[in-house]
Amino acid sequence: MDLLRKIREIGRVAEPAPPHPEGEVPPSARELHGSAQVRHVDAGSCNGCEIEIGGAFGPVYDAERYGARLVASPRHADVLLVTGPVTRNMAEPLRRTHRAVPEPKVVVAVGDCAMNCGLLAGAYGVAGAVADIVPVDLEVPGCPPEPAAIVAALRRVTGR
Amino acid sequence: MNAIAPALAAASGLAAAGSAAGLVSPERLRPALVGVCTAGVGAAGLAAGGAALGGQRWSASLPDLLPLAGVHLALDALSGLFTAVSGGVIVVAAVYGIGYSRQGPAGRGVQAVLPLFAWTLVMVPAGAAVSTFLLLWELMAASSLLLVVAEHRKRAAVREAGVWYAVMTHLGLVCLLIALVLFAARAGGETFPALRAASDTLSPAVRGTVFVLALAGFGSKADMVPLHAWLPRAYPEAPSHVSALMSAAMANLGAYGLIRTAFDLLGGGPRWWGLLAVALGAVTAVYGIVQAAVATDLKCLLAYSTSENLGLVLIGIGAALLFDAGGNCALAALALVAALLHVVNHAAFKALLFGAAGSVVRATGTRDLDALGGLRPRMPVTTALFAVGALGAIALPPGNGFISEWLLLQSLIHGLAAPGVATAVMLPVAIAAIALSAGLAAAAFVKALGVGFFARPRSAAAARAHESPPTMLAGAGLSAAACVALALVPGVLADGLGRAAAAAGLRGAGPTGGAGAAGGGPIGGGELRLRLTELSGRLAPLWIAAALVAAVAAVLLLVRALARGPRRTGAPLWACGAGAPTARMEYTATSFAEPLQRVFDDVLAPEQDVDVTPVRESAYLVERVRYQHRVPDRIEHRLYQPLLRLLARAGRAGRRLADGSVHRYLGYGFTTLVAVLLALVVTR
Repeated sequence: MDLLRKIREIGRVAEPAPPHPEGEVPPSARELHGSAQVRHVDAGSCNGCEIEIGGAFGPVYDAERYGARLVASPRHADVLLVTGPVTRNMAEPLRRTHRAVPEPKVVVAVGDCAMNCGLLAGAYGVAGAVADIVPVDLEVPGCPPEPAAIVAALRRVTGR
Repeated sequence: MNAIAPALAAASGLAAAGSAAGLVSPERLRPALVGVCTAGVGAAGLAAGGAALGGQRWSASLPDLLPLAGVHLALDALSGLFTAVSGGVIVVAAVYGIGYSRQGPAGRGVQAVLPLFAWTLVMVPAGAAVSTFLLLWELMAASSLLLVVAEHRKRAAVREAGVWYAVMTHLGLVCLLIALVLFAARAGGETFPALRAASDTLSPAVRGTVFVLALAGFGSKADMVPLHAWLPRAYPEAPSHVSALMSAAMANLGAYGLIRTAFDLLGGGPRWWGLLAVALGAVTAVYGIVQAAVATDLKCLLAYSTSENLGLVLIGIGAALLFDAGGNCALAALALVAALLHVVNHAAFKALLFGAAGSVVRATGTRDLDALGGLRPRMPVTTALFAVGALGAIALPPGNGFISEWLLLQSLIHGLAAPGVATAVMLPVAIAAIALSAGLAAAAFVKALGVGFFARPRSAAAARAHESPPTMLAGAGLSAAACVALALVPGVLADGLGRAAAAAGLRGAGPTGGAGAAGGGPIGGGELRLRLTELSGRLAPLWIAAALVAAVAAVLLLVRALARGPRRTGAPLWACGAGAPTARMEYTATSFAEPLQRVFDDVLAPEQDVDVTPVRESAYLVERVRYQHRVPDRIEHRLYQPLLRLLARAGRAGRRLADGSVHRYLGYGFTTLVAVLLALVVTR
């Protein structure tokens, strides 16, 4: 009862939904019909992007209302959310994770490091950007990207 | 036409021929010749026992064969049942042994003793006088000892097992000797008819002493806790066909001796006999199966499971004694029939399991379950055979062990109304013990089958395994067929079991009907029907099995029909991105048993030893961690080791008496003589 009362009193804290983001929907995402199960892979990130992803799925930005949901295994996922430059230790696990995602699959590279290795480009432990390891469908720039940008990218995947 | 005498004569002749063949034939032919002769001994025993179960009786007296006492032999339905079971197991083990001995124990001595051991197994139930019975019993013990130590040159553990077995079996013999000789001395004759006639005239103290000593003596052969210390050593170290003979045939004879002595010769007894037997049986059943559930040695697991099953038989015998003392003959007969049926079932599945385990040991060279696995594609027939045996051992339908345990539970539950406070406490405890042991048996055999045969090989030896030669498979296949037959149509044994219970002297048993039974024995018919005075129940194992098969087939068809999705594709197992899982990540026997071991922590008292070695420069940097974990047999630890230490100390103290002086030794002799003479003068 207490919980129900709290829910009624507090109401919605999420920001009102911004207008639908620009940009075209990746072709493989069209088959998802508005519901995307997301597996997040940290391929060598500094955890800045992770905090923003946490914000994107938190109560304020609430990415779940657009049909994106974090899951615990690539076997359950449609979308891979990859952060960080791909380190040498994570290159093979990232490939295996990509193989483990059932078709159709979408890869979203989050952050500058994931796009082009950012300020870690050329470091001895870095194998390359995400696109060098697995095919990337969408990129979210920023170091780190704002939660709103991540939500916008996920909305382009779900189409909602 | 009495078929028993020619069958037993044939068994004796074939045993002699087999022993001779083992001694003189060339090594290449030896296993086959000995195996065929031994199988003949078994077949003859089966024929003799079958004839006795069919209602024939036979007795013979050969006064000139042995000096002083002569030889008295007799076969009634009770001894016939055990002769038949021994015979069946011998046929299986002999056929199996032909292939097994080719690369194993093919030496002259071992091959010559095997037919002799088989012959004693057939003949022990036929002994009808104290001297004859004990002579055959000792022959059986000695020949089995020689077979246990067959591989003593290969492993030091075999020698240790041999010493344990020799000492324990002879302590049992001493108990038996005292019990039966005391009985015979008080009865004034040593043939079984004389004992039977005189049993009512004995004082209760003598009868009680005879019963307790017989329980100890026969119990040590039937793996009764706490006299079981030899079995986790002797069964695993013996060659596998010998393990099968010992576990599935020799251990039963302990139960036979107890039934013969307690029911037939002593004619039943007071209530505490039954309570004692039920209590020991319950402890044996639970302790045996708990040890089996945590064992990681495949043959050790089977050995402890033998202990469990003989414990269940002992519960049945004790319950029969208890109900008989209370005057409820029909219930007593039911309990005894359940015990006898369990003897038959246990013999069938344990011969099969030891056979399959022997194939595994021969193919991989190891008995350690933690190093096995992946045998299903490599040894498909052996795996199927082991699965049939395991199904029999776990006391669930449609296995054969289920039927006898069901009967046993029925007899105990219907006997709950028996009077007496101790009875009212003991029977529910016994029921709980049977239920607990059935559940743990399922865990133990799921472990043995799942860890031992399925998944991936855990060692190179298991990966190189190959299927056994056809004779071994044929031997194990015979007992698998017996298991299936016993599971589906146990009713065919009903008349024979009823006759055996009647031969044990229970008035409510037997196909001719009796005081408590309404128109027939306690069980009968093609399906199992319980017939007691106030109730009747029935169980149709064939229909249960048919229903199970039909249900499984229906579910499979339904799944096949409903699951018409997109085409299936293969994919590597997801291991969190860490590559393919290796055999090191598999469940092992130890890890499977760990939760059980935690539950029974107080009973098992496992020992753990963590040894951390730091590097020389710093105590915080670890160079090596050694972790050791073992589950010792607690009874052996707590009961036998202190006793052995005490004996060793007494021996060292006694050494002072023998200092090498001839004069002192002469003095000892003289003093003893004088003391004996004085004692004679005083007592006369």
